[in-house]
Amino acid sequence: MLAAGACLALGAGPRAWAQAAPTATDGRLVVVFLRGALDSLSAFVPYADPHYARLRPSIAIAPPDGTAATALRLDDRFALHPALAALQPWWQAGQLAFVPAAGSPDGTRSHFDAQYQWETARPGQRADAPGWLNRLAAQVGGQPVDARPRVVGVGEASPRLLAGAQPVQLVAHGQAARRAGSLEPARQREALMALYGGDDALSAAFRQGAVARLASARDLASDMPPDVAREMQSASNGAAPVSLLEQDARNLATLMRKDRRLRLGFLSAGGWDTHVNQGAATGALAGSLQRLAGALLALRHDFGEPGDVIVVASEFGRTAAENGTRGTDHGHGNAIWLIGDRVAGGRWHGRWTGLAPADLNEQRDLPAHHDFRAVLAQVLRPTFQLTDSALQDVLPGAAWDRRLDGLMRRA
Amino acid sequence: MSRLGYGPTPSRVAEVRQAGGARAWALAQVDAAAAASAQPPRPAPELAAFDQPLPEIFARFRAEREARRERRDAGNPPAGTAPMPPAAASADPDPRLSYSKDSIQAAAAWRLSACSRPDLEQPLLARLTEFWFNHLNVSADKGSVRPFAGHYLLHAIRPHVLGRFEDMLRASARHPAMLYYLDQAQSVAESTPRGGQARGLNENYARELMELHTLGVQGGYTQSDVRELARVLTGWTVAPDQPGGFRFAPRLHDAGSKTVLGQPFGPTDPRDARAGQYEGLAALHLLATHPATARRVALRLAQWFVADAPPPALVNHLASTFQATQGDLRAVTRALLQSPEFWAPAHALFKTPMDFACSALAALGGPPDEPALRQATGFLAAAGQPLLRWPTPDGYKTDAATWMAPDALTRRADLALTLGRRAPAADFLLPFYRPATRARIAAAAPGLQPGLVLASPDFMGK
Repeated sequence: MLAAGACLALGAGPRAWAQAAPTATDGRLVVVFLRGALDSLSAFVPYADPHYARLRPSIAIAPPDGTAATALRLDDRFALHPALAALQPWWQAGQLAFVPAAGSPDGTRSHFDAQYQWETARPGQRADAPGWLNRLAAQVGGQPVDARPRVVGVGEASPRLLAGAQPVQLVAHGQAARRAGSLEPARQREALMALYGGDDALSAAFRQGAVARLASARDLASDMPPDVAREMQSASNGAAPVSLLEQDARNLATLMRKDRRLRLGFLSAGGWDTHVNQGAATGALAGSLQRLAGALLALRHDFGEPGDVIVVASEFGRTAAENGTRGTDHGHGNAIWLIGDRVAGGRWHGRWTGLAPADLNEQRDLPAHHDFRAVLAQVLRPTFQLTDSALQDVLPGAAWDRRLDGLMRRA
Repeated sequence: MSRLGYGPTPSRVAEVRQAGGARAWALAQVDAAAAASAQPPRPAPELAAFDQPLPEIFARFRAEREARRERRDAGNPPAGTAPMPPAAASADPDPRLSYSKDSIQAAAAWRLSACSRPDLEQPLLARLTEFWFNHLNVSADKGSVRPFAGHYLLHAIRPHVLGRFEDMLRASARHPAMLYYLDQAQSVAESTPRGGQARGLNENYARELMELHTLGVQGGYTQSDVRELARVLTGWTVAPDQPGGFRFAPRLHDAGSKTVLGQPFGPTDPRDARAGQYEGLAALHLLATHPATARRVALRLAQWFVADAPPPALVNHLASTFQATQGDLRAVTRALLQSPEFWAPAHALFKTPMDFACSALAALGGPPDEPALRQATGFLAAAGQPLLRWPTPDGYKTDAATWMAPDALTRRADLALTLGRRAPAADFLLPFYRPATRARIAAAAPGLQPGLVLASPDFMGK
């Protein structure tokens, strides 16, 4: 654990790389947050660890044998869940990396506490605080010359990660995002805007929502790829329907492509709280991972520019051993996934100590060898050319973790 | 009226006038709600699908799963046989297949009718049922919970909302909806042989029972307490053939000694003679009467009825009432309505999507037709508060910061304008609005005015 309150120690030293070639001022970030605590030991599988199969007699992903029924080998220690096969090329191309044992210095095993602390980047604190992505929005894009949002979130009414003083564009789940509804007919729109013509917070929120919704609907309606439209129509005839998460990912990517001021994006997916029958190479978790892979593919289609980074994370990890109902209970450390051209991918980063009982946190789950804020700091600093004080403002109290230097390539 | 129910209707406005003042009216609501909670609910006959005896729900759910299996087998014929043409598969679907879906749709329709028709369900009772269901949330998004969620609302929650908290907690703990939702039905003593494989503990229910239903996350329990409580509760599972849907299975129970919050359970317990299921009941009693539980319930009630950040004095007062009366929820509710804080005009609340949908429907005299029900259900799903389907056990939030979201506000206008097109005008609301709002509505095209009354900013508070 890192000393709480230590500031980002950015004196002299090997961090000059971070300031190198400040050309990519157009960096963009999408956070994909998996609510419910993804079992990373099933996604990024430590197949070579002798304890892995022993701890998980019915849910371990079988070691790689080259078939789709087993994990997909990444290196001599880790492998990928077969449902994530679509991501393997990114690993090979050096665009996908993992920090396998990251987490919060606070040991809570409450989903709701842990999510709140992750989203505010203030582990151990419960006082009302803005989300770190909103604080980051204040730092990107130069002077706030206009009140247009820099950050867009899809699918949740008011995610804590986006809460704060900066304006935010929020978009509904799935198909609903494409419809302007009551705002479409001009006469209705004008009547509603007049009704909310006041200067109170409610009226301002309504007007902001109306403007953003019209823009979203316009950008999305004109941009539905023909294959998506076709898939939707044919869904009942046996074609695999696009998952809601994938649709949200496409919506997010489209909006950020069409409005270049939107440089920060947020997407979330629930359903990762696998206490029972989580399955192995197939089953419930495999299905969720497959949908996640589809969503990441959709995102990467639009986030292929050098400065783009996708971060995938969850509030905490799960028990190393399976529980009595072929699932896993709440744990602590977890993997953070990083995707992008400038990510030093094709390898994992940080400290990994394996699954021997004595090396586990409370003999139960993965330790958080790296504070999640330290991982984020490594990404944010070069992506947005943040100064020390800006970084400190976005991730208050986080310490720079030198063991993660090299997580991002030099520009 | 918007807090002790779902908003004014012409007859409710008259009621308050007749009662000789709002406070007298409010206290009378508590008695009326308590009397109504002792009577069975009155869903329309076409909605009865979700309110059958539990053994019948289990039987029909089993039939649904069998039908699914049959269809799956038929859809995957052995190699060499021709696949069934898609048209044949989709024509004439087996009615057994839609049982869970029909059940949850009926339960959702009941909730929208109950919250918007004072003649059908006493408004404060509907309000309190919503509050306590949310406090002890289950979600029909989990397939095994789906056919039981409506029954849980009516029979585990509704009868107890003005009774003893411990009784409600116990009814929740033993209802199939909760047993399935938080996986308690499958949690058994470590290394119990079952179906050829050793099975064991699942911590999910024990954790949320302490974190969410009772003590709260800062209530002073540890990971060890979670695990020990899960051991205490082993053997609590579903019984498809029992009227209550619950059984205690001694063979699946961990008979060893345990310690929860410093209290011994199991063989070292001097009350040993009453071990087994008694341990779980004793643990629920310990949790239900714990001071941290009193504080948590008091805070949530004050947030629900008074303000997002309620005055600490009120929370303390409610918590001490809860403790002094051993969790008598009628006494706590009365204390709330008698408090000066409840009536202080400075305290404002913002309607949740459910408040908004229910009050809009109530202002129109209830859902005018089937499409209106569907639109309201769809609105709630799009607004992020789907009926009976809040996915996580914490229940939805009730504060303005969550629901005053720009995009979501424009969706309220969608529902308001859609309802306003087909329903009688709710002009009786206008005298409660600010003059500026009235002027803006009056300036709009006459055809839009009924919808704008419901879409107005003045209709968003409670």
